[in-house]
Amino acid sequence: MFDQDVKYLKFKTYLNTYCPYCHQSFNVEKKDVKQLVFKAIFKGQEIDLVLSPYLDVFEIETSVPIGEGEVLDDLMCPACQKSLVSQDTKCGECGSPVAHVIISALSRLIPFFICLKRGCEWHGLTKADERRIKLKIPRQEMPEQDQTLRIHNHQEVPYGFTTELASLEAGRCLQCKNPKCVEGCPVNVDIPEFIKLMREDDFDGAAKKIKERNVLPAICGRVCPQEDQCEGKCILGHKDSPVAIGRLERFVADFERKMDLVKIPVIKNKSSKRIAVVGSGPGGLTVAADMALLGYSVTVFEALHELGGVLTYGIPEFRLPKSIVQFEINYLKEIGVRFELNHIIGTLITIEELLDHFDSVYIGVGAGLPVFMGIPGESLGYVFSANEYLTRMNLMKAYKFPEYDTPMPRGNKVVVIGGGNVAMDCARTAIRTGSTEVTIVYRRSRQELPARKEEVHHAEQEGIKFKLLASPVKYIGTDSNIVKAVECIKMELGESDESGRRRPVPINDSDFTIECDIAIVAIGTGPNPIIFNTTPDLKRNKWGYIEVNEETMETSIPNVYAGGDIVTGSATVIQAMGAGRAAANAIHKKLSLK
Amino acid sequence: MKEFSTVNDILDFAISNEQGAVDFYTQLAAKVSNDAMKNIFIQFSQEEMKHKAKLLEIKEKGIYSISSVQITDLKISDYIVKVETSPQMTYQEALVLAMNREKSAFKLYLNLSQKAPNDELKNLFLMMAQEESKHKLRFEIEYDEYVLTEN
Repeated sequence: MFDQDVKYLKFKTYLNTYCPYCHQSFNVEKKDVKQLVFKAIFKGQEIDLVLSPYLDVFEIETSVPIGEGEVLDDLMCPACQKSLVSQDTKCGECGSPVAHVIISALSRLIPFFICLKRGCEWHGLTKADERRIKLKIPRQEMPEQDQTLRIHNHQEVPYGFTTELASLEAGRCLQCKNPKCVEGCPVNVDIPEFIKLMREDDFDGAAKKIKERNVLPAICGRVCPQEDQCEGKCILGHKDSPVAIGRLERFVADFERKMDLVKIPVIKNKSSKRIAVVGSGPGGLTVAADMALLGYSVTVFEALHELGGVLTYGIPEFRLPKSIVQFEINYLKEIGVRFELNHIIGTLITIEELLDHFDSVYIGVGAGLPVFMGIPGESLGYVFSANEYLTRMNLMKAYKFPEYDTPMPRGNKVVVIGGGNVAMDCARTAIRTGSTEVTIVYRRSRQELPARKEEVHHAEQEGIKFKLLASPVKYIGTDSNIVKAVECIKMELGESDESGRRRPVPINDSDFTIECDIAIVAIGTGPNPIIFNTTPDLKRNKWGYIEVNEETMETSIPNVYAGGDIVTGSATVIQAMGAGRAAANAIHKKLSLK
Repeated sequence: MKEFSTVNDILDFAISNEQGAVDFYTQLAAKVSNDAMKNIFIQFSQEEMKHKAKLLEIKEKGIYSISSVQITDLKISDYIVKVETSPQMTYQEALVLAMNREKSAFKLYLNLSQKAPNDELKNLFLMMAQEESKHKLRFEIEYDEYVLTEN
């Protein structure tokens, strides 16, 4: 019935509708009002019936009121008076009789059905046909800063959806009865519902719907690996590209912020119980928000002089503007969360001391200890860990030197070791601070790159070179012990082992060197031992991460909870938030019983 | 250098080497301050104990074979700087230590196989070398998986 011309038929598109017999148009325009006008028979009486001419809007006016569930006897062309009721087709949704009209999409005429039952989709396609049309609307791309310009500034790369693009993308959602996307989200945001609200142009309502489960939507919309989470499970994705859930989330969160629609809730049931949160990263902020909204008195202790944890010191401005992080934190301040900066828990105050003053403690300090490969030359000057490099650049604003007093590590030739998002962040920061040649060295092939595809794509656009299937074996220094080159060896992927993973194996005598002024090691991170030095009873696994009860997130010390990277090792922002949510629920449950 | 004239000489030597490894890790377990690391070294010593048990079985039954399967060599230990033992050792350092010990044992048996007076002894040395190379691979995979996570 439909062919591929239908792909041009977009939701909210104005429909040109015609009688299949006399080919007269049903479209009527009076001043600015656009309508489809029909004659109908209801309970033996002739009435006027007016429909909205947009595919995705189901508005109806009749000259006589028609109750929900009642069915029209007939629908007729006002020009030729012929009955439009189809003899062959019934409504795919409710089985009632349907009227048959034709619409034009470009040069094609397409059969179109109008269900005669009030409350059903009065005009539209059967569900199956609607699904087929949606499959034809391509996934919408976000406009972004041109690559030739953006490598000279630190401003955010994607501009975000316009209202039109967001509506079009929201129209692609199938509104599945058993959606899988919600399962893919670690904090179970009601994705179909927020998209439904978007389709009704209720962007504020959509933002509020997301915030019921996720306190940091503007951040998650930007940095979550949606392709592995909600979008990875999207049912539309089985046959087509999945709905761009992350981009929609970002759009509504930005809309709410820009339109100043954020409302500070009134907290009614204040509790005298006190909660300490160690670390102001995404997990800590989630616990703080959840507990504050439940009425607890919450204090967050941050070791650095700025809040946000990895969101502030780790992720660069061009990927996550710090003003957004600040805005989300201000919301927490408004709901009564207290923040203490420059407090290193483990040295200044111990966990034990915190327990003297607080009913529960949540540890969300992340995994901030740099890991090095252990090869010769790592102690040469200008061999940086990604943590140090990004902290200097993002937190200390070294790229604004001398306005900020942290000198910027700058070199013409930069080598970044590793293939994750952190490696991409380092490489893209280097190119923005004047480096002319930036090379990423990664041991495996392109397929195995752990970074998000979008980040790899942006890095390549910005001129970053990828030396794949290669691994450093040593750093070579000058006479004054400054790195001048990285010696690498070529690798090949061996046979799959028992775990199904192909391990990189060095190729004999394939050594080569890459000259560099700076080398940045971005191969992963580990747990910082500061807290454990004064809390030896905190049970940890062999990697040094804290062991917790997986349901409650409680540690081996009663009333001390932990979550995020300090429990799992490096993971995602939303996973840390999921752990924070689980801990907040468990803390509330336990404290409510006391 | 120790002379090996019979299969039993070789097996006795290998068994005492494995016992040496068991003792080494047991002592290290007593030395480290962190409970999790203590457990790691106890686990390593138990693994060495299993290797020893396997050799004792060979000695008792007199049956052994060399597998034709090539053991993958990730060569991670070839490039990593050696570490010293200390009470504050991390798991990463423990893995480097273990990899290097297995690599030394592998090299030893490989050298001995080249100097073996007859094929029977040569094959036994090769089998021992292959075993050590398997043990090294187990530590290298762990290092590959958990230390070089984003590399």
